[in-house]
Amino acid sequence: MEFDWSEGDAAYRRELRAFLDAGLPSNWAELSVHGPGSDAQAAFSREFCGALAERGWLTQSWPKAYGGADATPWRHAILSEEMWRVGEPRGSQYMNVNWIGPTIMKYGSDEQKALHLPKISAGNVLWCQGFSEPEAGSDLVSLRTAAVRSGDEYVVNGSKIWTSYVAGAEYCFLLVRSDANSKRHHGITVLLAPMDSPGITVREVPAVIGERYFHELFFDDARIAASCRLGPEGEGWGVVSYALAFERVGAMRYARAALTLDALAEAARERGKLDDPVIQEKLGAARTAVEASRLLSYRVIDLRAKGSEPTADTNIARVAGTLCENAVSDLALEIYGAEALAYGNFAESYWRLAMTAGVAVGTTEINLNLIASRWLDLPREQGG
Amino acid sequence: MDFEWNDDQRAILAAVDALCAQHAGPARAIELDAKADWDAPLDKALAEAGFTEIALGVPETGSLEGALVVAEVARHAGTLPIGAQVLVAPMLVGRTLPGPVALVSLAHPGPVRFGAHARTALVDCGDEARLVTLAPGDGVPVRSNFMLPVGQLALDARRGESLGVGSGEALRGWWRVALAAELYGAMRAALDVTVAYVKRRRQFGRAIGSFQALQHRLAMCTVLVEATRWLTFEAASQDLPTESAAVAAAYAAEAANQIFRETHQLTGAMGFTREHDLHVWSMRLAALRLELGGASAHRRAVAAQRWIAQP
Repeated sequence: MEFDWSEGDAAYRRELRAFLDAGLPSNWAELSVHGPGSDAQAAFSREFCGALAERGWLTQSWPKAYGGADATPWRHAILSEEMWRVGEPRGSQYMNVNWIGPTIMKYGSDEQKALHLPKISAGNVLWCQGFSEPEAGSDLVSLRTAAVRSGDEYVVNGSKIWTSYVAGAEYCFLLVRSDANSKRHHGITVLLAPMDSPGITVREVPAVIGERYFHELFFDDARIAASCRLGPEGEGWGVVSYALAFERVGAMRYARAALTLDALAEAARERGKLDDPVIQEKLGAARTAVEASRLLSYRVIDLRAKGSEPTADTNIARVAGTLCENAVSDLALEIYGAEALAYGNFAESYWRLAMTAGVAVGTTEINLNLIASRWLDLPREQGG
Repeated sequence: MDFEWNDDQRAILAAVDALCAQHAGPARAIELDAKADWDAPLDKALAEAGFTEIALGVPETGSLEGALVVAEVARHAGTLPIGAQVLVAPMLVGRTLPGPVALVSLAHPGPVRFGAHARTALVDCGDEARLVTLAPGDGVPVRSNFMLPVGQLALDARRGESLGVGSGEALRGWWRVALAAELYGAMRAALDVTVAYVKRRRQFGRAIGSFQALQHRLAMCTVLVEATRWLTFEAASQDLPTESAAVAAAYAAEAANQIFRETHQLTGAMGFTREHDLHVWSMRLAALRLELGGASAHRRAVAAQRWIAQP
């Protein structure tokens, strides 16, 4: 057991921080106020990821054969931490690098690899994710968006909801049901759908989280070339399971939470609240939640670095990540008080963007279910 | 970064586990509790096997291995001041001390663990720590229901020898790490017996552990126990843990109370009885979470270390 960073990893982090100090625009706080899905941040991500790509950092975790550097999971975690810490200037492109690209490497045709991987590596392409549907949220395998093969195309009908990062997205990693008679995880297919395909329309679902956070995608006889299918027809659940296994750690929320908490302590000092033992206690408690989240995330990275199969450590880390976000964002509002009523205020922005933590990418309840079954080996609830 | 125990650490763990399986365990703890006694034979066995000095075995072993031993003995419900003797004394004084060793904080008066049996006390006097050799009669036994023998020690900031300026901070740091390690071991055991219970106990024609309402609570307990584990061992791996020690103790003390409540709720009336082993660990969790002022004080110490203390 060893909790120190190697000198190489520590030096890499210093280099990244220097790059971010110099590379983020002076109006970054303003730019990122609406969240990573906003138009402004989507546009900026093309510039920023291009610069990361030039330094060889964007896809460093990819195999050398695909232009990566075979960076270790720890090295990649440092990159993710430093990015999330400052508000994820990669915007949605973290998804491209973390799981869309690697899944195309595994299941893609030569043609798909040649089309998509260079774009992702260059840091100038945006993807969105078409998973959830109005009737398929936590119970994703009940998805119904239908794809019917017609010659060289799939004709797609249905809708997706809660889709983020639609602003400027060129492609959608889309889950459809390609066999109308199939149930659950059978008969699902993945399409790498161009967003400009005829028959796709987008509607923003206004939300209190931020601008352009949620969208609904409608497919009305949308025509997607059969060459966009990733992996065999009807075996999309295997593809998506592979993809999600890359997302074990998820957003490194604690990295931003830690930085925010330090700023909150400073804000408390400026407001004469740091002498208040109740505030001190809450700051201390929030710090323990941040540190718990950090170490439980590291545990997941450690397992990954050792080549382990995904375990319920992932779910434990995700629950702790939500507890961390809640502790820090609750305190943010308390310290700022009525000042936080102003949109874009430091506390308000953090609190607003943190509120999805227990829902996004898998709810706390689903994570608790998986801890109960995989870690504690508790019997399944009948009929559940 | 490496979150797995290495071969040597695994061997230590296996050896402590085997030794405790022979000498410790809940039945032994219940037997000692009836006499309000401490486990001198277990102490002797640990010393003879070399575990008492494990934190001093630099470079092969150190404070991390010390914490590993502390947690494992606590998981086996060993009735001795394992944290004080295997981690705090060696790290603070650089040698083992005649046991039992009591930890005393003048800022938090009241009876202390092993106070009536202790031969040595380490006293947190604020800025400095003091090492006090106790005489028979220094400690007065206090009847207690917390599955540990406790006693009142009348000590002040003049008894014994000073361990130097700033030694108070070092004592509190190692005390908090040791406390977190003991809480972790006891929590793990309390959760384990509760999970086993809900798999066995049937109501409404099914194991109660199949109800999602219970599963979510046990899963949340798992998050608390796992987080305590890593926070404890990270703090234990540092040369002089201060903020990380307070973080580990604050988290562990809060988690201990939640584990106490949840394990007792889910084991029902049976969990309150002396026939079920849960109380051996749960009552200790309830007692240990109060040390050094409990979660509130540890949390304020985190804030003080991180944001208030002047460099």
